[in-house]
Amino acid sequence: MANKDVMIEKLRSMLGDDAVCVDDKYGAGVVSAATAPAAKLVEALGVFKDTGFYLETMTALDFQDTQEIVYHLNCFEPMSRMSLRVLVGHGVSVPTASGVFTAADWLEREVREFYGIQFEGHPDPRNLLLPEDADYHPLKKDFGKVHAYRTRDEIYG
Amino acid sequence: MGNTDGSDWVRLIVGLVIVLAFSQLNALFLVWLERKVAGHIQLRPGPKEVGPFGILQTIADGIKLVGKELISPAAADRKLFPIAPILVFMPVLVGFLVLPFSPDLIIRDMNVGVLLIFAFSTFSVLAILAGGWASNNKYALLGAVRSVAQNVAYEIPLLLAVLSVVLMVNSLQFSHIVEAQNRFWFIFLQPVAGIIYLICATAETNRAPFDIPEAESELVAGFHTEYSGMRFGLFFLAEYTNMFIVCAVATSLFFGGWNGPFGFDLNIPGVVWFLVKTYILIFIIMWVRWTFPRLRFDQLMNFSWKVMIPLSLANLMLTALVVKFV
Amino acid sequence: MRSMADQFREPIVERVYTLNLGPQHPSTHGVLRVLLDLDGEFIVKADPVIGYGHRGHEKMGENRTYKQFLPNASRMDYLSGLLYNHGFVLAVEKFAGIEVPERAKYIRTVCAELNRISSHLLWFGTYVMDLGGFTPFLYAFDDREHILDILDRVSGSRLTYSYCRFGGVCQDVDAQFVDTTRSFLKRFRSRYHDYDNLVTKNVIFIHRTRGVGVITVDQARQFGVTGPNLRACGIPYDMRKIEPYEIYDRFDFEIPIGTKGDALDRYRVRLEEMEQSCRIIEQALDRMPGGPFWNEAATFKVRPPKGEIYFGFESARGQTGYYLVSDGTPYPYRCHIRVPSYGNLHVLTEVLRGTMMADAISILGSIDVVIPEIDR
Repeated sequence: MANKDVMIEKLRSMLGDDAVCVDDKYGAGVVSAATAPAAKLVEALGVFKDTGFYLETMTALDFQDTQEIVYHLNCFEPMSRMSLRVLVGHGVSVPTASGVFTAADWLEREVREFYGIQFEGHPDPRNLLLPEDADYHPLKKDFGKVHAYRTRDEIYG
Repeated sequence: MGNTDGSDWVRLIVGLVIVLAFSQLNALFLVWLERKVAGHIQLRPGPKEVGPFGILQTIADGIKLVGKELISPAAADRKLFPIAPILVFMPVLVGFLVLPFSPDLIIRDMNVGVLLIFAFSTFSVLAILAGGWASNNKYALLGAVRSVAQNVAYEIPLLLAVLSVVLMVNSLQFSHIVEAQNRFWFIFLQPVAGIIYLICATAETNRAPFDIPEAESELVAGFHTEYSGMRFGLFFLAEYTNMFIVCAVATSLFFGGWNGPFGFDLNIPGVVWFLVKTYILIFIIMWVRWTFPRLRFDQLMNFSWKVMIPLSLANLMLTALVVKFV
Repeated sequence: MRSMADQFREPIVERVYTLNLGPQHPSTHGVLRVLLDLDGEFIVKADPVIGYGHRGHEKMGENRTYKQFLPNASRMDYLSGLLYNHGFVLAVEKFAGIEVPERAKYIRTVCAELNRISSHLLWFGTYVMDLGGFTPFLYAFDDREHILDILDRVSGSRLTYSYCRFGGVCQDVDAQFVDTTRSFLKRFRSRYHDYDNLVTKNVIFIHRTRGVGVITVDQARQFGVTGPNLRACGIPYDMRKIEPYEIYDRFDFEIPIGTKGDALDRYRVRLEEMEQSCRIIEQALDRMPGGPFWNEAATFKVRPPKGEIYFGFESARGQTGYYLVSDGTPYPYRCHIRVPSYGNLHVLTEVLRGTMMADAISILGSIDVVIPEIDR
């Protein structure tokens, strides 16, 4: 069984069937997208790591009603990208994943400085790309020139 | 102490003036030569704007350097910082006193000529350390410390190689050594010593692949990071003049000095032979610089202590045995 | 002035000192600052500080239409500008369902592979120059000039391209393009032997790179290292074979891999990749069909449906990804770019520990980071 199928099984058992949607045609570039509550985030990432995945990238999305963190993970086999999404409200903090994947160290620093999402337990919460004394969060939709500010349902509904 | 009458003094003073003039001209020429050689090896022409074939380029650079502001870092050592470049340059000039350009063109044919040159070349190491330390800059200090370690390590096989030649001739006087080569140059009789000498000479003058002390891509500019204007120029003058001296010594010790090959003079004056051979050796050193990457510092030290010194020691012992029993 | 004895009486408290491999340094590629804690010659801790080149591309991505973002794409990693441009165009085409004619696909592949070769050539020149060998730099740049001339003639730019457009390319290529590319390939292949002889077999070079900066597979997985650095560890992971996009599945080429993951392996992998790119270009030139070079029916304002897409492709440095979220308008809602140099630089915090200062330069060079793409 390929890594990705093993992973989908494990995710389904951990998060429930309707939190995981699978798309074998790779339409959106991922073979499956799973939504996890913040409490189970580190556990889910640990399962990914044990199955041989690596953290490709991590980013956040800012909506009017909520913020969402998207993790993209991949392994060294063909067509195996999976995404893991966590919904956090504005001002809610999320446990850090840098204990599981060291790559998350820098990725979380970047998400924190651009979106203001705090990561509990992060060993080194400095700014990565912005100057050290920057106290603004540029990629939030209430900063600077913004073209559109929508709610999550408008895009993913 | 010989007789010092009037003609000796005149000879000394004239010699000094000629030495100073020659070393400046030589440095001028060598800077131009280096840039041309570098250019052509790198598929480009090198300087060609200023003067025919860019010959006057060095003069233009010299004028530029003289006109620059001499910047001293605020926390640099007030006394040592300006003195260090002068200290680097002066010992090198002493070497010209004993070089055998031709049978009657030696300024002072001392009977410890070889010893004099190597004794004074060690001074420049001290001056480099002084310059690096006085700059109050971590990069400069790192460069200076590395330079000292490298120089000390490569002095030893250098001197051992030279000793092999001295053992064969039984004299430290340059004219004797050159006269002993009027049939066969010592490079044929002592090839190992010759090659060891050339490698160590490259290391002594801080040239690539041994140019860690001034490694541009690692330490910005090594021990002369903080120097600007003519002080920087002096470091470079010292390096090129030093290069000339070590190649001239190599010519005298291994390549026959003022003699032609196998004793055939072809009616060319000795001084021309000497200069041609020296400049060919300088060209080879430049060629090596633009071909090879740099050794890492510990590999450099390993190479000296574990390869060069045992080889040169073995060579010396073999020479001693041969000289004694043959 | 204090006496000399006074100066020596101060106790020496720490052996570890901090050296700043500063933003202005001949060997850091782009504006990178590495804070090194050194114990003599050995590095105890390495902390890269980046962000000097942050230009806000992702914020710009939300305020520009997809078409207006095209120039931004190649300016992130300007050394493989055409590859980024190509990748962005592919991502949007997949997202919005735009058809591309066959001829355009072949042209884009040829240009992308040429760009890959030019990026690797620049890396090769600067890497050997960092190690002290000044000459291969100029030879590599000479070859690179030929590539830049070819691409300049066909696209109008030398470094940052907007040649690939949604639905094809903006200008057709003619017979001179094909001829010049073929003659370049022939010349490059003979130069390739020169590089091998001058550098790869050079004893000093091998001493500087063998066993230096070993990245284990585990470290690669922890930090997200991709590209030639990962392939040097022995894993044949190349997006052109793993998730074939465009027409890469029609060509016959290999993925060079190394065994030990040290700097020498990384060097060899990249050198062989250049050769494999030559193979792809040859096959593409042989099989290029005629026909239109641009899909004229493509809409003027690209309007992808609501949703998101993540498109991963292989740039010169590793796996790059465009993550686009669309709300149905011509402006993206979120445009995130996953850059390979991120993980490649991050892994240095672990790899540099315990190495010597001169090795740090060698490792930095062999990783092939371009800082502006991290900074975006």
